Amino acid sequence: MLSIRDLHKSFGDVTALNGCNLAVDRGGMLGFLGPNGAGKTTAMRSVFGLIRPDSGTVTWDGHPIEHSDLLTFGYMPEERGLYPRMKIHDQLTYMGRLHGMSPRDAGAAADRWLEVFDLTDRRTDTVESLSHGNQQRVQLAAALIHDPDLLVLDEPFAGLDPIAVDTMSDVLREQAEVGKAVIFSSHQLDLVEDLCEEVAIINEGTVVVEGTVRQLKDAAPIRHLELEVEGDANGLIATLEGIRSTDFDGLRHTVIIDAETDVRGFIARAEEAGRLRHFSYTTPSLSDLFREAVQ
Amino acid sequence: MSGIGAVWQVALRELRVRGRSKAYLITSALILAIVVALVVVPRFLGDDTDVYPVGLIGMGNEPIVTAAEQLANANDEPDEPPSVSIETTVYEEATVAKADLAEGIIDAILIDGREVMVERPAGFTGFPLLNLLQRGAATVELEQIVAEEGQAAADVIEVMTSDPLETTTLSGEDARDETGGIAAYAGLLLLYAAILLYGTWILTGVTEEKSNRVVEVLLSSIRPWQLLSGKILGIGTLGVGQFAGTVIVAVVALQVSGTFDIPSISGATIFNLVLWFVLGFLIFAVMFGAAGSLVNRPEDAQSIALPMTMSAVVGFFLAMATLNDPDGIAATIGTFIPISAPFVVPVRASLNAIPLWQYGASVILAIASVVGLVFVGGRIYAGGVLRYGGKVGFREAWRSARD
Repeated sequence: MLSIRDLHKSFGDVTALNGCNLAVDRGGMLGFLGPNGAGKTTAMRSVFGLIRPDSGTVTWDGHPIEHSDLLTFGYMPEERGLYPRMKIHDQLTYMGRLHGMSPRDAGAAADRWLEVFDLTDRRTDTVESLSHGNQQRVQLAAALIHDPDLLVLDEPFAGLDPIAVDTMSDVLREQAEVGKAVIFSSHQLDLVEDLCEEVAIINEGTVVVEGTVRQLKDAAPIRHLELEVEGDANGLIATLEGIRSTDFDGLRHTVIIDAETDVRGFIARAEEAGRLRHFSYTTPSLSDLFREAVQ
Repeated sequence: MSGIGAVWQVALRELRVRGRSKAYLITSALILAIVVALVVVPRFLGDDTDVYPVGLIGMGNEPIVTAAEQLANANDEPDEPPSVSIETTVYEEATVAKADLAEGIIDAILIDGREVMVERPAGFTGFPLLNLLQRGAATVELEQIVAEEGQAAADVIEVMTSDPLETTTLSGEDARDETGGIAAYAGLLLLYAAILLYGTWILTGVTEEKSNRVVEVLLSSIRPWQLLSGKILGIGTLGVGQFAGTVIVAVVALQVSGTFDIPSISGATIFNLVLWFVLGFLIFAVMFGAAGSLVNRPEDAQSIALPMTMSAVVGFFLAMATLNDPDGIAATIGTFIPISAPFVVPVRASLNAIPLWQYGASVILAIASVVGLVFVGGRIYAGGVLRYGGKVGFREAWRSARD
């Protein structure tokens, strides 16, 4: 388990981390969310000792992270970087060797990952000759080459087309399934909701929301109500208690109400008032939770 | 991966990728071609005889010319062409001779065996011809004195061109043996050239990982000092390899073409020169590497090279002073400063002018400074690495690594 506890880091006058707490278990996948400049990258770098925190601890399986632990971690930094004129198979093999793999194992792993990412026929091409999306795949392969126990990926989906997103998602899911701890940051909240059981939302250096997506949604103080009615909709909606906002797109009304509001009486009234064509009552989306958390 | 293992991996990548790059292969081939041409072409351009055209006016010039030629060629091997040949032209009119001298058709005019005229005062290198003619004239005069005294006809030329005094030294070597000094001087030049030629390779090479931003991935698994020393080792080996290849080819070409006779050098001298070449190159390579840690782009690298090149220049001139005074105070101080020791110590050792303890101490100091510089450089590297864009000050880099 990776555990970040009460991490503080300032760069001059800028506070990057202000008591950041995070944890991700083996077999778990944590979506790390937050607006730009919230401290995601700084927190991820602290795992690899790339920045030294002012205070707080970063532990792996309960002990402070040592250099030997780093060899079992995989990292995809926000600043993508590969040797542009090196052949991709050579490049992946080199990364494997730096993580202590034998030449044979590193070469075989490079072959395997190129296969997974459908790049086998480009193994002797240089990185600079690849498209942006393919470079990103090689970058992920470089993080995975040594079969790490912990994967830390900074914006792995940024700039990918939907097909590449699917491939990348599948790989991350598999990694978590076989018992790896996976943490990744992203701004694509639908994707995170789809992929992750757990999320952490960081704002101004502090994790303000952390938990499983299910729990967070259930615990949210609001619910979404969507309805389409024939007849006087506005009068009907006015009978609801705890309305936070309403919206009408010309066809359907979207109402945000307090979670405590009992809507069963409302449904009965709606059916009386006219034909209820559509009705949905849902927990808020991750995007809503995110907006709520960082405002 | 063990500490040295990672260094080796980084170095190996440099050797593989850089060593196979077109830029490296083409420049290597080009340099070899130039060196061979420099050695071989002069061989075909002319024989070994220096020819001096001299104009003669009046009487009594020929004996001087003959004596001058004999003096110059006295120590020639019998089967080789003469070192010097003086071609004479007799002029009736002084004005014609002066006109030819002005146009460079002749190099000097001898007048009545008493006077010699050249076009202008000697430059920095002096006038070999003028010296020869003066000595020729002196010889002719001596021969006349010997004849007048009624002595047996002594061979004045032989006396003038031999060493009548036997020379010895405390150490039992030949006092006129210059090979030690020549070898030291050659070693000095080679080290100086290698530092100036390949230092900036290392400097710009170290910025590579920062400019392509692969550094963050690398430093997630290896330590900064491992990356830095691997880079220095790899690029340095390529540089020294190209340099050594060039020197070997040049030596072989010199031997084969016979342009220049290389004196035979003792094994101890060669060991001394190679040891200090390696130490000196390493010290400067690590300094260039550490400086490279402060900048993020190859374009910024040049501006930061000056302190290292200046150090090499100072070391070089200190060593030149050492050649003249190998156990003076400057030489002794230079021995204990790691950046001047690689220039000074091999010179003193070649001239047998350094106590054993000073030699040992300077080697230990040099090795210690290489190790120390690697760690200082690694720390600067770690501090400067994630600050993209612009130069990072030494202090800032040092502090941020400690934070």
